[in-house]
Amino acid sequence: MITLNVNGKARQLDVPDDMPLLWTLRDVLGMTGTKFGCGLGLCGACTIHVDGQPTRSCITPVSAAVGRRITTIEAIGTTSAGSKVQRAWLALDVPQCGYCQSGQIMSASALLASKPKPTDADIDGAMAGNICRCGTYPRIRAAIKEAAK
Amino acid sequence: VKALSSRREFLKITVTAAGGGFLLALGLPARSEVRDGLTTDAPFMPNAFLRIDRAGKVTFVMPFIEMGQGTYTSIPMLIAEELEVDVDKVAIEHSPADDKIYANPLIGLQLTGGSTSIRASYVPLRRAGATARVMLVTAAAQRWNVAPSTCRASNGEVVHAATGRKLRYGALVDAAAKLPVAENVALKMPSDFKLIGTPHRRLDIAGKVNGSAKFGIDTRLAGMKFAVVAISPTFGGTLASVDEAKAKSIRGVSQVVRLDDAVAVVATHTWAAKQGLAAADPQWNAGPNARLSTSDIVAQLV
Repeated sequence: MITLNVNGKARQLDVPDDMPLLWTLRDVLGMTGTKFGCGLGLCGACTIHVDGQPTRSCITPVSAAVGRRITTIEAIGTTSAGSKVQRAWLALDVPQCGYCQSGQIMSASALLASKPKPTDADIDGAMAGNICRCGTYPRIRAAIKEAAK
Repeated sequence: VKALSSRREFLKITVTAAGGGFLLALGLPARSEVRDGLTTDAPFMPNAFLRIDRAGKVTFVMPFIEMGQGTYTSIPMLIAEELEVDVDKVAIEHSPADDKIYANPLIGLQLTGGSTSIRASYVPLRRAGATARVMLVTAAAQRWNVAPSTCRASNGEVVHAATGRKLRYGALVDAAAKLPVAENVALKMPSDFKLIGTPHRRLDIAGKVNGSAKFGIDTRLAGMKFAVVAISPTFGGTLASVDEAKAKSIRGVSQVVRLDDAVAVVATHTWAAKQGLAAADPQWNAGPNARLSTSDIVAQLV
């Protein structure tokens, strides 16, 4: 048994140490807001926060998160930066199909939490690992700037 | 104003009192090329449902999925236009998977694509909204003992202009559900449209921003297992061997399913299934296309 702190709650889990957080969240805890994209840490759809740092949950074993704070899309709205990002995403109608957007929002929230007034270069750097096949990048950039106002 | 309904299609609407509310069951019409071949005594199989509860909440259960093209906004607009409700108040529920009932009328499979959702729905869903509206107006008129023609529907309520009386739809659903289905309901002329043809904010955004939107991969059922599939890497290849015992030695793996050209490993979660598939180490008979190359294909094309 291991204990994970997920969105402020202690969760006792009987899972293998090397099981990625992604499948623990989605298949064991039933929290499906975090998405499976590539499973290789290449697309960013599975991004969560571990101690506030954007983390690819598909390649992060549960053992690496023991004793640390896990935050997912389901609870990012309780943080100041996450709430601003979600409001901006709504105001600008950012998502199209929406599948990558949990990861986009988690990366954007981590950026704003560490850099409240990001430059274009900051945005490019923080968001480069989050792929959107619908091509919502211009609205993502605009929404991050809106959230930073 | 003109009535657009053909009688045969029109009869494919039924009404039910559904646990304290009003439920219209309608049949989105079949492909035009097969419709005339349908026998008239075929049992009515509704494939879309418009429900209004006692709180006035409007829910539409429909077979078209939202994938960024806007159906969860445009479809409610069709209903709201004729039903006279705020489009933001129309909730969408997705119908379950069933090719027999929920086949796309224009395609023949339960499939959303090819720009068919609006084409298949444009008249039937407006008719469903208009039918419900007429029945709600009739219910209000009976309650007030006035002629239905002296009442009008607006923003989720029926209004009797002469006396200023109003009733919310939610207060009328039980009475409306007992009425016969309204027939020959007139649809609005395009010049009277308030919603159709206008831009509207997307209604599916909130769920896509807070993680609650359910994609196909997010389906969770009681006791559900998870499977990972490997398919023959060559077209026409077949499954040669699988190490089933090794796959089942992975904790959580419950089953290995062999097909002619694929294998699935079933487990309590995706991670176990992935590890089980790796352990199964499927081997393939590559088949007739084993050595097929791009230049072969080009040679066959020219």
